Amino acid sequence: MINVSHLTKKYNRYKANDNLTFTVSDGETAVLAGPNGAGKSTAIKCISGLLRFEGEIEICGYNNKSIEAKRILGYVPEIPAPFELLTVWEHMEFIARAYRLNDWQERAEMLMKRFELADKRDKLGKELSKGMQQKISICCALLINPKAVLFDEPLVGLDPHAIKELKHMLGEMKAEGTTIIISTHMLESVEDIWDKVFIMMNGRIEAERTRKQVEETGENLGELFFRITEKNGEESE
Amino acid sequence: MKAISYLIAMNVKNAILDTIRHPLRLILYLIIIFGMAYGAVMGFTAGDTDAGEFIRGITAESHGRLLNGAYLAVLFFISIPVMLKGLSSGTSFFSLSDVHNLFVAPVSTRLILMYGIGRQLATMLILLITFAAYGGMLINTFNLAPWETLLLIVGIGLMLILVQLTTLIIFSLASCHPKRAAVMKYIIYATAFGAIGIVVGNLFIGGITLENTFRSISLPVLEYIPIAGWMHGFIFGILEQNSLKMLIYGLLMILMIFGSIIALYNFNTDFFEDVLSGAEDYHEFRENIRSGKVSEAAMFGDGKKLKKGKLGINRGYGASTIFFKHLREGARRSKIMFFNINTVVLMLIVLVIGLGMRIAMSEVNPTIIYLAVSIIGAYVQFFFSAASDWVKELTKPYIYLIPDNPVKKLVMAAATGLIKPFTDGIVSFLILAIFIRGEIPDIITAALMYGSFGSIYIAANVLAQRLVGIDSTGGVFITFYMSLIVLTLLPGVILGVVCLSEFAVVFGNIATTLFDFPIFSWNMLVSAIIFLSCRNLLNNTE
Repeated sequence: MINVSHLTKKYNRYKANDNLTFTVSDGETAVLAGPNGAGKSTAIKCISGLLRFEGEIEICGYNNKSIEAKRILGYVPEIPAPFELLTVWEHMEFIARAYRLNDWQERAEMLMKRFELADKRDKLGKELSKGMQQKISICCALLINPKAVLFDEPLVGLDPHAIKELKHMLGEMKAEGTTIIISTHMLESVEDIWDKVFIMMNGRIEAERTRKQVEETGENLGELFFRITEKNGEESE
Repeated sequence: MKAISYLIAMNVKNAILDTIRHPLRLILYLIIIFGMAYGAVMGFTAGDTDAGEFIRGITAESHGRLLNGAYLAVLFFISIPVMLKGLSSGTSFFSLSDVHNLFVAPVSTRLILMYGIGRQLATMLILLITFAAYGGMLINTFNLAPWETLLLIVGIGLMLILVQLTTLIIFSLASCHPKRAAVMKYIIYATAFGAIGIVVGNLFIGGITLENTFRSISLPVLEYIPIAGWMHGFIFGILEQNSLKMLIYGLLMILMIFGSIIALYNFNTDFFEDVLSGAEDYHEFRENIRSGKVSEAAMFGDGKKLKKGKLGINRGYGASTIFFKHLREGARRSKIMFFNINTVVLMLIVLVIGLGMRIAMSEVNPTIIYLAVSIIGAYVQFFFSAASDWVKELTKPYIYLIPDNPVKKLVMAAATGLIKPFTDGIVSFLILAIFIRGEIPDIITAALMYGSFGSIYIAANVLAQRLVGIDSTGGVFITFYMSLIVLTLLPGVILGVVCLSEFAVVFGNIATTLFDFPIFSWNMLVSAIIFLSCRNLLNNTE
């Protein structure tokens, strides 16, 4: 479970996140949606512990900055950042050693196979295309078998096969009870996997819907998204 | 033309507005300008410096030759690496935004080329102003008139433009033709080694004396070498009031400039592809510098095929994995652990200065040589520390995410950067010891002090990151970082000076130990305190 309580992130006087409060339960997939600059990536980075913030964030009951939380949290950054002088397999080894994993090899092989990295295992990070680098980021995050995982625009730059595979994996992780948060500005890319959606605008959550609510009311999520983001856009103009 | 003049006008206007809107940046620029002006004025007005005294102590003939040789060396030192780099990636005439916006616009390619050259001229002008800060020192040391100093600086700027133009042509001719590129690379290498060969040959024939060293580095034959040599000939033609020399080399360069422009105009108007990769590389390098990141690609050659060698990290658990990962990465950069270009540069500096002092002052006690060389080496090391493994690690998210003790992560991430200066110092000072002998404590403490500067540079970097934030960029960070270095080093240096002045009468033969050992001890102590006090640095990326 990820519990975010009164999260505020300021850059000088500018509030990138303004008093965000939400909970994503075990086995739930939440989507942070919103236009560019809405504060999605900032929220993801705060949850992953990369940024300072006001408020409280808990990962499965642990403070998100604690070692216990780090041990069970996976994070896929928006911009892949592989080590240029490590091979693909060595990235797996690095994560396994740094996170003190046991018997990780089989899972690493499986991940690399599913993301079509198996034949690239001895390629250096710098020799890979951006899409391949993104796949390494995903494999590194998933190798630890996280109880909670954060994806920042995960589908950007992936090829169709990798998108399909990632969606399958998300389904499997969900079934295993993993908490998943995905940030994206393309709602249609996650329409078949989300349980909960938070539509963000100007650093705030402007609307929150569950799949059940949308199915019961027949509300069109796309229309809601544009109604909120375009209204706010006009107001700010 | 409208598009280009609009682009220039808007760029200038927005740069000014942007500076005004960022008061901190404005203050920083003003401090830098003030610092440069102060340095220049102090140089003009300062009394006799040690270097000046030494130079005035030699004969007038040697004095001129030293200036001749030093200037030629500077020209070569600047031009050869630029040309070699340009051969593989073009030049930095254009920014990536020029490539993406201007190159696809319906604007004449020739106009675009002129714009690029104009931009480069403006950049050179800024560079020349920076060089001007050293003008005062030149005037004072070599007893030059201000206009002569200015001429020397302008010469460097003009040569850089010539180098850029030549590189663009070479790149155009060699791109997509690996054989041609290889031939051109060999020509550049042959020119450089040829020049070195002439100097060394003359040195051995005439004997290794101070007078012959000056004679060798200022041989007229070196002026026949295109670009750097020609520029040297032209500038010294003016300085020596030798009209013929000035005219010949001036004409050669004018012909070269016009020839280059005509060649680019007529033979290769489709130069876009040639500059694209260069612009991309330059953009990436600038972004990395701006964000405090220095990528492996930028530092170690992007297109270079690296030998992977042994596969696997194979050791480490938790935070220590970072250290063993650095060792594996280091093994891929260099066949010998902890040995890289910095080691070679340090060895050369130590040897050249050490042996130079030995030749120039044959009676001097070796301890004085170790003292001077260890101080210069420690200063030079600052420039090596920019690309340490620690700095690069901060640019990736993993170090923040790894579930381990933050102090352990900090120490392990900095470990290779802490060890390497010690190995560099030991190797370099041991090699110097083979030539000049000296006392064992001096050799050891010189190496230790050099190593401890690595610790201080990393510790100051850690402290600066802690105080102004990991994500802070550019000039603010650098200024703060450098101020911290001065503050952290100062007590150690004072301690060294006190020890030297107090005990030099009794232990004069180990002056290096008296000065270096207190500094080494202080540096290690302060570094340890900083590391411990910044243990929470890796809590977040800010």
